[in-house]
Amino acid sequence: MNLLEVSNLHASVATDDGPQPILKGLNLTVKAGEVHAIMGPNGSGKSTLANVLSGRPGYAVDDGDASLEDTDLLELEPFERAQIGLFLAFQYPVEIPGVSNMEFLKASIDSLARARGEEQPNTASFMRQVRELAGSLDLDPAFLKRGVNEGFSGGEKKRNEIMQLLLLNPKLALLDETDSGLDIDALKIVADGVNRYRNQSNGVILITHYQRLLDYIVPDYVHVLSNGQIIESGDKGLALELEAKGYAWLT
Amino acid sequence: MANLALPTTLAVPEEFSIGLGAPSGAFDQSLADALNSPAHRERWKYTKADAFLEQTAVNTSKPQISGLDQPGVGSHLAPIATPLPGMDLQQAPEAIARLCYAGEALTLEITQPTTQPVMIVHQSSTLPVIVRVAANASLTLIEVVEGDDSSQQTVWIDIAANAQVSHSRNAVNYAPANWHYLNVRLQSSASYRLNNHALGCGSRRQDIHVVMDGQGAEATLLSAGMVEGKTALDQQITIEHRQPRGRSKQTIHNIVANGGKCTFNGRIHIHEGASGTDAQLSNKNLGIGDDATINTKPELEIYTDDVSCSHGATVGALSREALFYLTSRGIDQKAAEGLLSQSFLRQCIGGPLAAQALQAMLGDMRAGA
Repeated sequence: MNLLEVSNLHASVATDDGPQPILKGLNLTVKAGEVHAIMGPNGSGKSTLANVLSGRPGYAVDDGDASLEDTDLLELEPFERAQIGLFLAFQYPVEIPGVSNMEFLKASIDSLARARGEEQPNTASFMRQVRELAGSLDLDPAFLKRGVNEGFSGGEKKRNEIMQLLLLNPKLALLDETDSGLDIDALKIVADGVNRYRNQSNGVILITHYQRLLDYIVPDYVHVLSNGQIIESGDKGLALELEAKGYAWLT
Repeated sequence: MANLALPTTLAVPEEFSIGLGAPSGAFDQSLADALNSPAHRERWKYTKADAFLEQTAVNTSKPQISGLDQPGVGSHLAPIATPLPGMDLQQAPEAIARLCYAGEALTLEITQPTTQPVMIVHQSSTLPVIVRVAANASLTLIEVVEGDDSSQQTVWIDIAANAQVSHSRNAVNYAPANWHYLNVRLQSSASYRLNNHALGCGSRRQDIHVVMDGQGAEATLLSAGMVEGKTALDQQITIEHRQPRGRSKQTIHNIVANGGKCTFNGRIHIHEGASGTDAQLSNKNLGIGDDATINTKPELEIYTDDVSCSHGATVGALSREALFYLTSRGIDQKAAEGLLSQSFLRQCIGGPLAAQALQAMLGDMRAGA
């Protein structure tokens, strides 16, 4: 059984001028224990892939399939996708004033536990775990009392995404340009978090523009997305080649 | 449009009538004129006044009151005689009519700082209540509207110099109709704070009239409302600044969901000579689901220079981005809406009735509850 199976995926985004096709027959298989990097020029459909898989409103699937451990993802609501083990680290994490980070994280972990028939963690041990995770990502634990992502710097928002990744421990993590806007120190902290998350039973899809991230999170596969399709796949060497030569030689 | 009229004629003491500015022997006519003035008809634009007027003459019972047994608190029934300074025939003719039909009011005298709250529970239409707070006294007043039948309540609070009143009020019962009139008059450096929590009901009407009648008085009004399904809430708030350097701040958040109807009118009136006034009003409305009706109108009347005044009203929906972010973490749609609604209402929920209000307003929408 594959962790993620995407076949012949066609999807469009709603615009003022009607639906705009973005993904045009995308195929991708991720097995447990693997890290896949997806690179490609602007507008090639990288973020659309993350958005369609996680169920963001505003996107329509026109054809094809996507499943997580044989469960059809495309039929599920976003919260159900999360409950069966999908996680999206947002390119632009949302600020929600009035809902505290702690309240949000507890609501999330409780929802996941309920959906899986597991016991909800008691508040004290949960808070200890969250504080430890925050510390390991160089996030001031005082942020837990503030509104979700409220007043966070770009780097803090991204580290908060990684903290949620480690807390929720999903089966498949989609990281949508988690490296963008990070300085080198923050990049190392984020990469270290992702490497701590990795194990033989989960998987990671890294969407990125830059080879730099892949120095710290070494992928098993690198794919090049162009005009809604994967046009080239290889190992980490492909990323180095792209760094040196750009995308033009492929497209 | 037919004229608004009271169910029967009224007999009132001459002193009372003259005190309210009605010519001798013409009290009924003065009331009828006030009811049908353009300004007053406007206040009943979105809620039918007739049924409420019809009810002003019904028999009333005493509200349940606790907290009377402490130093500094006295109570007695007093027949209407000289009107209180805050009573205003033009502003509240139907509330004055209720008082006249009852012929008496339950009067609470607060003569010193109190340690225990005084709690008033209205199970039905109750006798008008007058709360007089003496200079330098303080009071925590808790008021709850209960009961399944249509009812009306009128409350006048007169706060003398340097006295303080913190007032929490829950109207979270379900009844075919409920009308509550509240008048608060503040003298110099007096302060008043209201935590108001309301659920829509068949037709719920809340009139609040605050008169800043002394220099440096301070009033804070916070109100949270949930108007869901086939319910309605109509809130009419008037704040009059009659004296210099008063400060008033109103923050009203209402959620209108799935067919609910919500009306808000917030009028700030700054009289000539009330210089240095600082008056702020913010009314935010959140529409959820289908067919929410929201009418909101902030009004300013300013007759003096040198004031700071702001007012704003917004109508919006829950942020789709925020909902997606929450649901992408496994929180179901209803709980995510609950979290966002809760944060919106919580900004205006407080005081000793807060927990009960939150539960009544959001119930099982509350995530993790």
